[in-house]
Amino acid sequence: MEEALLRAVLFGTPILLASLGALLSERGGVVNLGVEGMMALSALAAFAAALEAGPVWGVLCGVGVGSLLGLFLGVFAVFLRANQFVAGLALAALGLGASGLLGKRYEGTPLPDPLPEGVLAGLALILALGLHLLLSRTRYGLYLRSVGENPKAADLFGVSVDGVRYLALALGGGMIGLAGAYLSLAYRPSWTDGMTSGLGWVAIALVILAGWQPLRAVLGAYFFGLLFFLQFRLQGSVPIPSEAFAAMPYLLVILVLALSGRARAPRALGQPFDRGR
Amino acid sequence: MRRILGLLVLALGLAWAQGDKLKACFIYVGPIGDAGWTYAHDQGRKKAEAALPWLETRYVESVPEAQALPVIDRFVREGCQVIFATSFGYMEAVLEGGKKYPNVIFAHATGIKRAPNVATYMADFYQVYYLNGLAAGALSKTGKVGYVAAFPIPEVKRHINAFTLGVRAVNPKAQVLVRWINAWYDPAKAREATEALLAQGADVFAFTEDTPTVIQTAAKKGAYSFGHYTPMLKFAPDHVVSGQIVHWEVIYIDFLKKVKEGVYTAKNLENVDYFWLLQHKAVEMGADYGVPINPKHVPLLQKAEMTVGGKKVSVYDRIMALLKDMQSPKPTFDPFTGPIQDRKGVVRIPAGKKATLQELLTMEWAAPGVVGDWPGEPK
Repeated sequence: MEEALLRAVLFGTPILLASLGALLSERGGVVNLGVEGMMALSALAAFAAALEAGPVWGVLCGVGVGSLLGLFLGVFAVFLRANQFVAGLALAALGLGASGLLGKRYEGTPLPDPLPEGVLAGLALILALGLHLLLSRTRYGLYLRSVGENPKAADLFGVSVDGVRYLALALGGGMIGLAGAYLSLAYRPSWTDGMTSGLGWVAIALVILAGWQPLRAVLGAYFFGLLFFLQFRLQGSVPIPSEAFAAMPYLLVILVLALSGRARAPRALGQPFDRGR
Repeated sequence: MRRILGLLVLALGLAWAQGDKLKACFIYVGPIGDAGWTYAHDQGRKKAEAALPWLETRYVESVPEAQALPVIDRFVREGCQVIFATSFGYMEAVLEGGKKYPNVIFAHATGIKRAPNVATYMADFYQVYYLNGLAAGALSKTGKVGYVAAFPIPEVKRHINAFTLGVRAVNPKAQVLVRWINAWYDPAKAREATEALLAQGADVFAFTEDTPTVIQTAAKKGAYSFGHYTPMLKFAPDHVVSGQIVHWEVIYIDFLKKVKEGVYTAKNLENVDYFWLLQHKAVEMGADYGVPINPKHVPLLQKAEMTVGGKKVSVYDRIMALLKDMQSPKPTFDPFTGPIQDRKGVVRIPAGKKATLQELLTMEWAAPGVVGDWPGEPK
């Protein structure tokens, strides 16, 4: 039982971090479908930096690369006012492909001093709390939400819509980068092509299921982690085929979050803001 | 005039050079950097090219099954004379390509269907798994050995069974707890499956999937493990005891030499099926090249004892003796020698008989001692 709860937290952590990152920019009205690719590239950057300069540099590098990729998405989603869904999907594909190509020489290399998972798991929880407070209790949270709900009104009140969106993408990207660093420095201290194995997509789904609420994202991520572990813990001891078990985490998380109340997306989500129109 | 003559000589020279080179092309299912299956095939390709000066190779990586035929078309247009398809899922594409291009030689890894110009080949680990099972049985204190497995297909089942027979030969009460992750490559699933097995008391690990995740996770809790497919000692130097390592180049070099010498043609491959083992040097037992057992664990295995034919012998000596026997040109020992019952008590291999190649390739039953879900288990 203790073991299961521990795994819930430790496996839930990368999903939570990535969800928080996507959630942050989505509250500001920018959809981020690039999470999987961003995680992959930051995981690689973190691993390479950790090999060369130590784990702390690894974490910083992962966060930095995540932020840069967030801003990169911003160039398309904010500056060029491109379709955010297309831009995000392109970033996901680009990140996966580029990380595979650039990471070839790091394949099959173990990391000499991995990071303890617990520290990063604690940090993720603090970030979730912080984000919750930021969104609900502070002026900056209000700016962010107003940009996501009604950018025209926010603009009239003197809030820089584009500025807020860039900042949200950069900060969110940093959290996604931290999720990547967690994977390559702590969870599985090594780099291999495709090591994010779809967790970025789970994180995106979790943002929606959690109704864009950071604290519900914590619950969702941990619950997913718990079920993911249990599919193996219970495999063979109950008469359910292993393939059905593999689908369970996804189904149950959707069910639970769907039953626990409806959520509304930020009203301006996915819409580029054009001051002149 | 002189210029024309010069050109003529050049053209002849080129034609001669072209004719002299054999062009072999490889279709890979994954990326060559994946440290597992495709990586091992690519190492084999490189070593074959280094060993055979008249060989020219080419490859395409990450080819989905539906794209295999277009890749074959392309290879043939580019003048490939031999095409290696390195995934089971390419079977239909290879057979179709074989019909379409009757003069091109095809070889299909892990395949089961052949044609006059389509051969099949496989480097199999079941003997090595048995030997590693002996070591695992000796090293487990809890009597619970964990096994993280990719897909419930005959190949993986054969390996789990061989491994379990080895474990039980040392410790007849031991259990091998099997967890399926239904993926060849998924580090997260491999990690959580290992955690689940650790939570259930497993203290030694083997696996069949494409990452060193099991090794890294087990080592964190101080559990021993066995590498798979490529040398994995470096991922946990204190905890990796041994493992299975493949040498595809042995098969590639043999096959290509015979094509070059004209032994194999596009008309006589109907019965060419490589199922190569320890004695062919297509596979190796070891945590690293040339290291059958991690020297750190040799004393433990020397101290451990097992009963063979009513006599006590050290597990280390037994492993080494069997390894030597199975590496010899005419092995006398085979892990699947009867009497063997499955875990439900049905006799699968009668006393004194060895499993036939057909029985090995279609193995669905579970050996006694295997604990866990077993999709497709015969009634």
